[in-house]
Amino acid sequence: MVIFLLNPVLNAALIGGGTALLMGAIILVVFHYFSVEKDPLQEELEGVLPGVNCGGCGYSGCSAYASALADKSEEDTTLCTAGGQDTATAIAEALGVEAGTVVPLVANVFCQGTCEHTHERYDYTGTQHCASANGLFSGPNSCTYGCLGFGDCIAVCEFHAIYIEDGVAKVNHNLCTACGKCVKACPKQLIQLIPKHELATNVTCSNHWPARVARSACKVACIACSRCVRTCPVNAIKIEDNLAVIDQYACIHCGECVEVCPTKAIHRGLLDGPCAVDEEKKAAG
Amino acid sequence: MKEMLIILFSVVLIDNLVLSRFLGVCSFIGLTKDLKNAMGMSVAVIFVMMVATGITYPIYWSILEPINLGYLQTVIFILVIAAVVQVLEAIIRKAFPPLYKAMGIFLPLITTNCAILGVMLINIQEIYNFGSAMMSSFGAGIGYMLAMFLFTGVRSKMENADIPEFMKGLPITLMAAAIVSVSFMGFKGVIENLFG
Repeated sequence: MVIFLLNPVLNAALIGGGTALLMGAIILVVFHYFSVEKDPLQEELEGVLPGVNCGGCGYSGCSAYASALADKSEEDTTLCTAGGQDTATAIAEALGVEAGTVVPLVANVFCQGTCEHTHERYDYTGTQHCASANGLFSGPNSCTYGCLGFGDCIAVCEFHAIYIEDGVAKVNHNLCTACGKCVKACPKQLIQLIPKHELATNVTCSNHWPARVARSACKVACIACSRCVRTCPVNAIKIEDNLAVIDQYACIHCGECVEVCPTKAIHRGLLDGPCAVDEEKKAAG
Repeated sequence: MKEMLIILFSVVLIDNLVLSRFLGVCSFIGLTKDLKNAMGMSVAVIFVMMVATGITYPIYWSILEPINLGYLQTVIFILVIAAVVQVLEAIIRKAFPPLYKAMGIFLPLITTNCAILGVMLINIQEIYNFGSAMMSSFGAGIGYMLAMFLFTGVRSKMENADIPEFMKGLPITLMAAAIVSVSFMGFKGVIENLFG
């Protein structure tokens, strides 16, 4: 007890430092004797997953998905959208089960109302976000269903897969991993995740107005003229609420509807991206 | 016995840890989305609260107080609580895996939780004896559990309510928490009528 007769500052330092040292030592000892080995299977799975933590699988991150797979609470090996088929196969190999098939999804913007096809109803000078512009009379765009082009989707995309061209968001389908963040970010609900093969024939419009109004708002809007419905050889198209809808299970991607559409609202798009655009520009210029 | 009951009731209802003293609010907001998380966290808090009192109480009264270093209690208590929780976590993970599954993920959240530290400091401040201090900690944990369960119920009702866009998420949650807290003011005076 002699030491505690020293001056009070030294006492405080000794007690504080001593406690810290003691606790550190105890933790070291306990951790040494009670260490638990991490499940080697989980570590292997973590190595297989891409590690981008996009949350596309529905878990909070790659390690959460790996741990769910490792303790058998999750059996679906195809949930990783960023990795696709390769990752699903690798996971199945690590787990020793049969690999499921991944239907690769991709985000697509269902609007092609660029500046040249639409006009502005008023001069919007507010915050440059889709959500804010949408709050002011549904945004300045003449078509209130259409893309506002301020890029809220670009801000959330971690893969730089979205870009704005002539005031309309476009998805680089080669970079897109279908994590689904842009789908939530778009205030107009223009972006959807669709199976990649469905890009082949698409009604790239979300406008539900009747023909005359739709036409005056946007030159490439679907005007529900039913020509595609009559042309389709497999009756895969129907008009729902003034918008043509293609039944992708029935569609044979013959391209007839693309030909007859008077407003070019049906899009015959394959994989789209900046590279493709650059090449088009080169060819044009 | 009567004294113990008075401590228990006053800590649970009148000086409720979360709703009157506003301690542990972050876990109160963060973990009340479903009953399972609220349950796990509450049980973990009660457990750690008791263990931490059992350790910090003797440290204060037999080491710090005799050498006039009472003012160091905050620093020392944080250190001790954090270390104890870490050690407990490691032991539970190795020795009782089912228990670790039920409350293990909440233990790291508790290492520097203000609710635990707050109760330790209050126990010292009120000059309780050891038995009363343990009872007060247990009661504080029960009070925390009560607040968590009540608020989980409130939030599950809010899931289906039509909330204005600008109030969705945190704003409405904080306001609901405030109203629940105000409702607990109604318990003032309960002790006098129960035991007086």
